Amino acid sequence: MTSAIALRQITKRFIDHRPPALSGVNLDVLPGTCTALLGPSGSGKSTILRIIAGLEDPSGGRILLGGRDITDVLPEKRNVGLVFQRPLLFPHLSVIDNVAFADRAAGQTRRQARDRARPYLDMVQLGDLGDRGVGSLSGGQEQRVAIARALAAQPTILLLDEPFSALDATLRHEMHELLLRIRRELSPTILMVTHDRDEATVVADRIAVLENGQLLQHDTVDRVYHRPASLDVARLMGGENVVSGVVRGGVHHSGLGAVPVDESAEEGPGALVFRHESAGLIPGHASPAPAGALHATVVAVIRSGLRQRATVRVGTELLQVEVPGTMTVTAGDAVTIILPEQILWVVAT
Amino acid sequence: MGSRGKRGMANPNPDPVNRLRGARLLLIVGMIPVVVVVVGGLGSTILQSIGLMPLVGPVRLSVDAYVSTAPALLSSIGTSLWIAAASTAVAIVLGATTAFVVVSGGRLGRIVGAIGAVTVSVPHLIGAATMGLLLADSGVLPRLLGIDATAWPALVAGPWWVAVIAEYAWKESAFIALVVAGTLLTRVAQFDEPAAMLGASRGARLRMVFLPLAAPALIVSATIVFIYTLGSYEVAWLLGRTYPEPLAVMAIRLFNDVSLSSRTESAAIAVLTVAISLAAVAVAAVAMRRSAVWR
Repeated sequence: MTSAIALRQITKRFIDHRPPALSGVNLDVLPGTCTALLGPSGSGKSTILRIIAGLEDPSGGRILLGGRDITDVLPEKRNVGLVFQRPLLFPHLSVIDNVAFADRAAGQTRRQARDRARPYLDMVQLGDLGDRGVGSLSGGQEQRVAIARALAAQPTILLLDEPFSALDATLRHEMHELLLRIRRELSPTILMVTHDRDEATVVADRIAVLENGQLLQHDTVDRVYHRPASLDVARLMGGENVVSGVVRGGVHHSGLGAVPVDESAEEGPGALVFRHESAGLIPGHASPAPAGALHATVVAVIRSGLRQRATVRVGTELLQVEVPGTMTVTAGDAVTIILPEQILWVVAT
Repeated sequence: MGSRGKRGMANPNPDPVNRLRGARLLLIVGMIPVVVVVVGGLGSTILQSIGLMPLVGPVRLSVDAYVSTAPALLSSIGTSLWIAAASTAVAIVLGATTAFVVVSGGRLGRIVGAIGAVTVSVPHLIGAATMGLLLADSGVLPRLLGIDATAWPALVAGPWWVAVIAEYAWKESAFIALVVAGTLLTRVAQFDEPAAMLGASRGARLRMVFLPLAAPALIVSATIVFIYTLGSYEVAWLLGRTYPEPLAVMAIRLFNDVSLSSRTESAAIAVLTVAISLAAVAVAAVAMRRSAVWR
């Protein structure tokens, strides 16, 4: 299948800016999928979006849209939609005329453009506000109109540059639901920049992890979380359990002891990683110990909302385990942590 | 010590009513010189024009000053309106174009912006002298182009007031450019990228985004230019014909006349000029209210 958008060895250097903002980035986004570009500030996420949109020229590499090279095509001729962090609605136009802007720019009459815009305004549940000025909208409504405006242009790919980062948690949740509904109804190809791992998990099929202008991993949400390509990806995805050791014969040897791991794990030095959300914890030293069980002692407990995070010592290693808020765990307790083989992953070091 | 300390601290949340009252007091203080100049100056001019504040002779309500200037008045008003309207129109086109070049950035934008800033600082009198030296039949331009003085059109002191309009348009286009560029850079430029991403070409962006959003700045600056051009005399006096006289030139001539009775006629011309200016402001206000941004 031809990628909706493909980046080939994209490099970007800004004047007086070293190292380069992007270094040889290759990325393929399949039609109808949603990919989240995830990374810390300054990692190059927005630069990728702006290069795809044509608002920045790459220093090297090519951009293919549906197999067509658009590297030298003007932004207005790429048929790429971009929703910015701020809605940037045109203040001199009503809500419906903002959504109808692309058709008006394409030469359609005001009536035709408005007729075509209405379904998109309905889709974002603002069909009643078409005649309003944009100044009377709330932040969440403005961003809904911005999304409807971008969709009404019927772009080949929709780029979202942290569009919900300025909204509060409730509004952000509503926008995630809206995006999922849009995906169900229109199946657009979406590339979305975010620094929020939870947001990426909710709305995207795949995650592309960026750091220092380099694409570290592009994979399904589950694999990026549980099968990180490197320790950097594990760290960026919030992984807190990294245990150095050596793999010999399908067993990882470390301060935890001998832990069986997937057969695909490379022989030699490797770090055992697992998600603190995936590990289990039961009070006391279970006997007989179930598969993947390790006896541990609680070192500290920190409550976070309805959950709590326990730091436990196993052998010479300190591990993080998330436990339900209803479980009574205190420092010094003897516990058993359960590490099923399927949550363990070895990153070669 | 405690109370002194409290008095020295700024109140972080002053009472809104007191704050509003304070702001109004400050506004009144600021309004005093404006009221003195506008009401005092305009009032005394109106009183002079209707004979209630004569320099010599008895106080008598009359419209003699208006009647006595009437024969030359129509052609003077026509000339003034022509100069002001033509200068403003050319300045709008030049200024708006210059503003868009400045906003487009790059080296050209910076150079054009710098030229605009320098142009604004040149006094009109210097500009008029320069324009005279450039456009007169014995000036620099015909010499550069190798055109004989007899074949050169009457741009200075000619029937179309070309040199006067050129000077005003040149100077005031820089003013319009700086005002509009300021608006575009701070409030409008941010909408260029969203418009481009919606498929709008450069022309469509100019027509559908930049011009509507720059319209208030254009209307306000154009109104200022029109009124200034209508009311200033030195450029028309230096580069224009002796007849018909623009209103401002006539007003100055009558004001400086040896006959002190001419002061009332000068005042009458000034009042008429103010009336035309107020009409221009009213037209601008209507245009502002009809602009898309205002709506």
